[in-house]
Amino acid sequence: MPDDTPDLHGAPFLGDQIRGLYEPSGPRALAESAERSTRHNQQIAASIPSWQEWREAANQIKHYAVANLDKLLIEFERSITARGATVLWAEDAEQANRHVLEIARQHGVKTVVKSKSMVTEELELNAKLEAAGIRTVETDLGEYLVQLAGQRPTHIVTPALHLSAEDVGRLFAEKLGEPFTAEHAALTATARKHLRQEFIRAEMGISGVNFAIADTGTLCVVENEGNAGLATSAPPVHVALMGIEKVIPSIEYLPQFLNLLARSGTGQKLTTYTHLFHGATPGQELYVIILDNGRTRALADAAARMSLFCIRCGACLNACPVYRRTGGWAYGWVYPGPIGAALTPHLVGLRQAGTLPFASSLCGACGEVCPVGIDLPHQLVHLRHRAVSEPSPMRSWRERLTWRLWAWAMRGPLRYALAMGLIKTALRAARWLPWHPGKLGAWTRGRGLPHVPPGSFRRWWRRHGEQFAPAGVLKGEDHNDEQP
Amino acid sequence: MSSRDAILARIRSALADTTPPPRPAVPEVWPRTNPSRDDMARRFAEELEAVSGRVETCGSISAAQDKLAEMVRQAGWKRIGAGDSPLCHEIAAKLPTHCLAWYGDQGTPQTMADLDAGLVEAQWLLADTGSCLVANATQQQRLLCYLPPVCLVVASADRLVEHMPAVWEHVAAGAAETERRGEFVLITGPSRTADIEKILILGVHGPKQLVVFLVE
Repeated sequence: MPDDTPDLHGAPFLGDQIRGLYEPSGPRALAESAERSTRHNQQIAASIPSWQEWREAANQIKHYAVANLDKLLIEFERSITARGATVLWAEDAEQANRHVLEIARQHGVKTVVKSKSMVTEELELNAKLEAAGIRTVETDLGEYLVQLAGQRPTHIVTPALHLSAEDVGRLFAEKLGEPFTAEHAALTATARKHLRQEFIRAEMGISGVNFAIADTGTLCVVENEGNAGLATSAPPVHVALMGIEKVIPSIEYLPQFLNLLARSGTGQKLTTYTHLFHGATPGQELYVIILDNGRTRALADAAARMSLFCIRCGACLNACPVYRRTGGWAYGWVYPGPIGAALTPHLVGLRQAGTLPFASSLCGACGEVCPVGIDLPHQLVHLRHRAVSEPSPMRSWRERLTWRLWAWAMRGPLRYALAMGLIKTALRAARWLPWHPGKLGAWTRGRGLPHVPPGSFRRWWRRHGEQFAPAGVLKGEDHNDEQP
Repeated sequence: MSSRDAILARIRSALADTTPPPRPAVPEVWPRTNPSRDDMARRFAEELEAVSGRVETCGSISAAQDKLAEMVRQAGWKRIGAGDSPLCHEIAAKLPTHCLAWYGDQGTPQTMADLDAGLVEAQWLLADTGSCLVANATQQQRLLCYLPPVCLVVASADRLVEHMPAVWEHVAAGAAETERRGEFVLITGPSRTADIEKILILGVHGPKQLVVFLVE
């Protein structure tokens, strides 16, 4: 992996990535695509009369699974171990990486093929493997493109949403020495040709897990490209990484989730390949790594527990007006969009990601599309509350001072008028400044300052108010906004 | 304390004040309607064709043998890898033996990389989604599903079921042919991607073509 990998630490939503807000091309393609996906999702949901009941049922199953998490994990471990798999546990990213490196060392692995896994993004596993001299190749087409470009996925289902066919053509020309083309079928064929060799030579395949089924000891992995099939069948060793929340009680519940995941993720009835690994395939080794990495922190916060229900379909990303505008990188860590804003603060801590819950207009679109009924807007409000009451960037003295002043100004009409007057004067002054400092500068790089109208609403109302106000109303001082 | 115990202890302490809800009933995502086999065959073909798969309905095993032989001749496939199962042997009876390679538990990805097509048997066909459930007990059988550019699936029409919950019932009943070993894969169409500008392209890493021989 190239060295210019963006730094994953922290969640600089209000930091440098704000540049994305006024770079037109990438975000626009992303916004259009996300909007199309949402429209498609809405059509699907509307065409299924019992859609809401399906969501409710999925929510209840996840509720049950999470409330019995310890028992189900133990049952899963027992049943898949009985089927020849080796189960390893990792409290954090470092332990998980150590497990993978140790397995690679035991089996003399030189090349790893990976199918899509967001958990391995959490671990920055590729960089760790490369540092140990192990060639690591992403094989999902979107992930492959992002890896070649030295970038991070911008979406959890379609990682290269921000790259145009021309971008991909240039990337293949530069990195693979292929003649330039912007033709989709030809580009796909090029990726097929190059990755085929990797599948055949690799000694280890790494995958994520969509569902871990406790009673039968089964891992379920869904995909469309066939790369997960190849990455887990061609190499002699398969390592599957899963968060603790992936476990469901029984295979009987699986159709429910497959049904919702495919429709919400890609608009399909069922993904092209649904793999069910019943332990190790004879002749192959299977390792399952169960990862905490901050998930028990979300579990311990009863109001936030529901964020662990997520099945990573990406529907809330597509529906989110903020995500559509900023893209995935602005969220600063692995999981973007509303679910990222709701999950990341638990996984990396509020000190690093305390600003994320504020990266939302709380319009509620995410909560409406979530196929497992996670109350995302409430999750965000809850985290906002925590971010201002616990150590986080949102609890700075400036933040507190600002709200104190606001509270003071709102306590009386005179104070209010005085504050508004000050703001207006400051805004007028700021318009004449050639340069704006700090956050104000970040704001005005992409847009103008609001125009300050002459006079004020109060003055206007004193002259014209009588003709609008019903008798007896608004006799005293109003508390309305300044603008008519 | 091992990391396993540490994680489990953290989970228990996080859940300490929680009363677990009762186990929810299995939702009827796909209600049972007990359709006739003809209905299911029609539905299966419709659904699979909607995702760019192809169905060849064959009135008898001999008709299936002829259809397969004709397809191989027309396409000019030189090497076909076949799963070592009774139904695969039956349908391949009219193929020239020199173009056939049988795979049980021997063979490497390197030697299988130049196969023109893979032939596998499906244990169940799911009418509602047009899916084939292939139970792969060996690495080689798995590779036959994903590695060659064409995937040929043969299945007996009495293996048609309505949908996934119906299959689990057979699995739970312990039917020998679906003994849980290795991998079950539900194949619903040829391999596909829409990762570049969300334009759909068939055959990215797995097969570009999927043909199901449905034998009455």
